Amino acid sequence: MAGRRAVKAVLIDLSGTLHVEDTAVAGAQEALSRLRQASVAVKFVTNTTKESRRSLYERLLRLNFDLQEQEIFTSVSAARSLLEQNQHRPLLLLEDSALEDFTGIDTSEPNAVVVGLAPDHFNYQTLNTAFRMILDGAPLIAIHKARYYKRKDGLALGPGPFVAGLEYATGCRASVVGKPEKAFFTQAVSELGCSPSEAVMIGDDARDDVGGAQDAGMLGILVRTGKYREGDENKLRPPPHLTCDSFPEAVDHILKNLL
Amino acid sequence: MADTNWPSCCRSLKGVVLDMCGVLYDSGEGDGVAIPGSIEAVQRLKASDLQLRFCTNETQATREKFVAKLQRLGFDISVSEVFPPAPAVVAVLKQRGLRPHLLVYDGVLPEFDSIDKTNPNCVVIGDAAENFSYQNLNEAFRVLVGLEKPVLFSMGQGRYYKETDGLKLDVGVFMKALEYACDLEAEVIGKPSPMFFQTVLGDMNLQPHEALMIGDDLVNDVGGAQHCGMKGVQVRTGKYRPSDERHPTVTADGTVDNLAQAVDMILAQRGH
Repeated sequence: MAGRRAVKAVLIDLSGTLHVEDTAVAGAQEALSRLRQASVAVKFVTNTTKESRRSLYERLLRLNFDLQEQEIFTSVSAARSLLEQNQHRPLLLLEDSALEDFTGIDTSEPNAVVVGLAPDHFNYQTLNTAFRMILDGAPLIAIHKARYYKRKDGLALGPGPFVAGLEYATGCRASVVGKPEKAFFTQAVSELGCSPSEAVMIGDDARDDVGGAQDAGMLGILVRTGKYREGDENKLRPPPHLTCDSFPEAVDHILKNLL
Repeated sequence: MADTNWPSCCRSLKGVVLDMCGVLYDSGEGDGVAIPGSIEAVQRLKASDLQLRFCTNETQATREKFVAKLQRLGFDISVSEVFPPAPAVVAVLKQRGLRPHLLVYDGVLPEFDSIDKTNPNCVVIGDAAENFSYQNLNEAFRVLVGLEKPVLFSMGQGRYYKETDGLKLDVGVFMKALEYACDLEAEVIGKPSPMFFQTVLGDMNLQPHEALMIGDDLVNDVGGAQHCGMKGVQVRTGKYRPSDERHPTVTADGTVDNLAQAVDMILAQRGH
């Protein structure tokens, strides 16, 4: 096939792609095992900021996925490196369960605002506190800007709307560290020792997974599970490399056509 | 120091429109506090030959309750002189046959008593303050994403306002949040929407160039008024910040320390 490229790395989204909350997507474990038998590197990339890397890992083990903790690359890890680089002390708008990944970071007299997915903190009082800090010059760091995510009881607001609101209130732009930022994808593939043009991303979020990866020079495969809504693939220019029903179908396509 | 150029336009002026919060008073615990000199400034405007109206994006109370609060603070104001967004929204909902899901402050709910709210086909947000909880925002979001053609009305689009204990986020922030979540553009009812200013001008039977707006919000009060042909003056009270005087897109026709100073300058030009 003309223009065909050999893929050396596969980036895989977690929530909505391999599982929805505590249920694995049908056939996903077996598909991951098949992928691992091919000569291709695998990394799990996620904007799931409610949870620490360790708890994400443990959940996937419980769901019988074959992986190692170091293979998970999260937007929280990316935020932590940014704080360390600039020696900032953060106000962390994160679920308690994600705080583990910030162990050792000084949070006294905060001079930076970090926003993740934190339904418990997205209330008027806490948002006002964050707003006043930013007006006083604290940088706004967004772990990601997803519009919404899927819960058992339906769609729910992600951190993106709250970040967009704080940006509007203060006239500042947030530094976004998670998907769909180009830096996030390039950092993930560089840890696998390859370039973006040698990688493919599989995810259920048209903009953040597929659009972000394609903007970074990778191929993007959109799966119709998780938060996928009919017509999402039409929102992307260029369109996804492929849109398919679920993760196992994406793996079949990679094994047949991209290696 | 006040700009000395703008008052020359006041000789041909026929009406003045005042913003309320941050110009007349600062909100906060209880009724808030009157800004020094404002009570007398309103009296002096009323005693002049100028028409006077009040144009507010206040959406935390019904018009009656809100005006009663201003009266307790000592202002000579009546309900018919005050133009807030809620009655304007109710008129639009009735005209378009829309049934709202409301995310507003409890105090303003009675303004919507006459509207059918079952099986909502649009969302209306106002300055809901503590009611802007994750759960309430999520409910509004779910109504919007469940609609084939989502419609969001926002009563104003302010970024923040000043209370006695500091700056607070205003409705515009949550409007932006829902716009971003649902990929839509809200219909703003209130300042700076030209339609809103036109209603007030219509009530005075004046052309835009015959009226002056005085407010503390550079973009929504001053910029909004200028956009529809009125003059706009900013006061250095309320939410005013020094950076407003170097704003990239909006330049006030004048900037004054407070309402009392503005009224001094206007009336001096008119030989009072």
